Amino acid sequence: VSGPVMDPRIAPPFPEAALPILQNTQLRKNVAHATDVIQAKRNRLVAEKQDWQELRNSASAIRAHVLANLATYLEQFETKCTAAGGVVHWAKDAAEARSIILDILREENAIEVIKIKTMTSAEIQLNPALTAAGISAIETDLAELILQLGDDEPSHIVVPALHVNRRQVREIFARRMGLPELPDDPEALTAAARTYLRKKFLSVPTAISGANFLIAETGSVAIVESEGNGRMCLTLPRTLITLAGIEKVLPRFSDLEVLLQVLARSATGERLNPYNSLWSGVVPGDGPQQFHVVLLDNGRSEILSRKVERQTLKCIRCAACLNTCPVYRQTGGHAYGSPYAGPIGAILTPQLEHMQHGQSLPYASSLCGACYEVCPVKINIPEVLIDLRAKVVDQERAQPRRWTDPMYMGMKAANFAFASASRFRLAQWMGRLGLRFFTDRDGWIRKLPNLGARWTLSRDLPGLPDQTFRHWWTQRESGSSALRERKSR
Amino acid sequence: MTASSRQLMLDRIRAATTAEANQYEDIARGYIQTGTLDAQRRIELMTERLREYGAEVSECSPAELPDTIAHQLQVSGRDHFVVPPGLPPEWFGGGEDCNLDENLTHEEIEQCGGVVTAASAGISDSGTIVLHHGPGEGRRVISLLPDFHLCILRASQIVETLPEYFGLFPQPPRLATYISGPSATADIEMTRIKGVHGPRFLSVIIVRDDA
Repeated sequence: VSGPVMDPRIAPPFPEAALPILQNTQLRKNVAHATDVIQAKRNRLVAEKQDWQELRNSASAIRAHVLANLATYLEQFETKCTAAGGVVHWAKDAAEARSIILDILREENAIEVIKIKTMTSAEIQLNPALTAAGISAIETDLAELILQLGDDEPSHIVVPALHVNRRQVREIFARRMGLPELPDDPEALTAAARTYLRKKFLSVPTAISGANFLIAETGSVAIVESEGNGRMCLTLPRTLITLAGIEKVLPRFSDLEVLLQVLARSATGERLNPYNSLWSGVVPGDGPQQFHVVLLDNGRSEILSRKVERQTLKCIRCAACLNTCPVYRQTGGHAYGSPYAGPIGAILTPQLEHMQHGQSLPYASSLCGACYEVCPVKINIPEVLIDLRAKVVDQERAQPRRWTDPMYMGMKAANFAFASASRFRLAQWMGRLGLRFFTDRDGWIRKLPNLGARWTLSRDLPGLPDQTFRHWWTQRESGSSALRERKSR
Repeated sequence: MTASSRQLMLDRIRAATTAEANQYEDIARGYIQTGTLDAQRRIELMTERLREYGAEVSECSPAELPDTIAHQLQVSGRDHFVVPPGLPPEWFGGGEDCNLDENLTHEEIEQCGGVVTAASAGISDSGTIVLHHGPGEGRRVISLLPDFHLCILRASQIVETLPEYFGLFPQPPRLATYISGPSATADIEMTRIKGVHGPRFLSVIIVRDDA
């Protein structure tokens, strides 16, 4: 059995990928449990925060301000980070980011790297490139380690292994760490991971991280986490490479006072994450003495140029929209065929792919708006979803196969009929005539052929009434004018 | 190649954001900046939050600090403590098994049972200990590898809200670690487990220098 495909360029469309998952009751139970727990914690901590809406407003305004002035802040970040001893690289796409990172690692003669959970690393498919170059990547986040050892893929931005339960984790660890006697309680499993990784932390001289925030004012990077694997990777190695999307900048150090509060509450239902780390370049005598930042564009500047879609880049990857989404809660992350799942993934993935892949994703939503309501930076996800759907439809309209597509032809015909009153009348008359054959005696239609069967398979359709509205209106008009005439006499 | 990518990316970004008037000063900041609790209540809240996270909390007067440190180290049941070079020597009676961090190797620090540090600030709203890794707080590695962290926080360093902490430090630090409870994970079935990689045991002494 092959695992889930998380590369949008080759993943099957959402409905196809979701189908087998919907039949996997164990996975759905695991996803439902995890999202329920996070949501309950999040809701409790948001409710206790009297100024939650003000924090959201400010977080949204800060992120929008950054995007409107992105070039200035990136240059400022570069200047400050360089002055502090860091090396800043610019990568226009995934391929360039991979090659920059591989060049650094080759220079270091690296054969192993320790990694902090990094969405951008998954986005650029870094691990396969490292493997191909003979470098083994060791994921140090507990969930990522579970997935890596189990040959599985992440299904959530914050808790990537939420679809795996303790018995499955025990099985993976017992097999891959050579611990046949390992019990399945989370405490013992966590202790096994601690021992397994401690050796790696102390011996591997190179680490790769993402970034939660880049601070333009100081050139520093901020990472939030709870396990301490991040602190290990940021402190112990000789060389550190941080891969960050260009949108991750904040103007000032003190802007963290807003973003750390909304991020922790939204992501894990905590007042602050157990550990937040912040560093500027290279600090003599403390931590890595070689520090590289790779600033990744990979489609982001294109998103920036579109008015409605730009807000996608405000995202701080808290995953609150995943936990609340009625679609994600049924399918989990694998159905999205991308490292970015859920509502934010549905808008981000196709855009990062220049609308050439992942076009089914904007439809993986009921447009209920729950994602917008919980979003700590107020991204109007439904608005972007609808805009992207329009773009997908425009693409389909331009394809030659439209001439053989019954849906497209039907819409074309409807367009032609609705454009003129006389054609509309004629179409109505023909429709009434045609439907008469399918209407039962009690006035209901229960069985239609061809495309119409998609409706009648699960629903009945009321038959057309004897009289159209237009017909009735004309009669009523003449009737009432006759009445008026009588009265005036 | 990178140099041209830099120009290409900046040009694209500038083209996408041309002539947008969006001033930093115009960002609305209606959220709570300043706390409302008095000193006593602020320290009580700090204690409450730390205990919620499973940290040990004790209080003492400045004069009692050496005894309190000795006591906490003793009840920790550990030996071999690493201390940063900038901690006041008078905090220690001399009987403790302390190793000054003068470029100890990672392996030597790993062998230590615990670490004693000062702190730069405390935030009671979230029970956060702030380290800026100055002389009294030491390199990042010493408060990371040992399994037990004894942190000494002065009452006068405790603020109520996160924005108040940022107000204390208009000059941003080069390094900072915010600790809000011991290392933890909820990755397996959302069950919270204490102690993955950082210190599993955090003990905080609040020194009542405000009395």
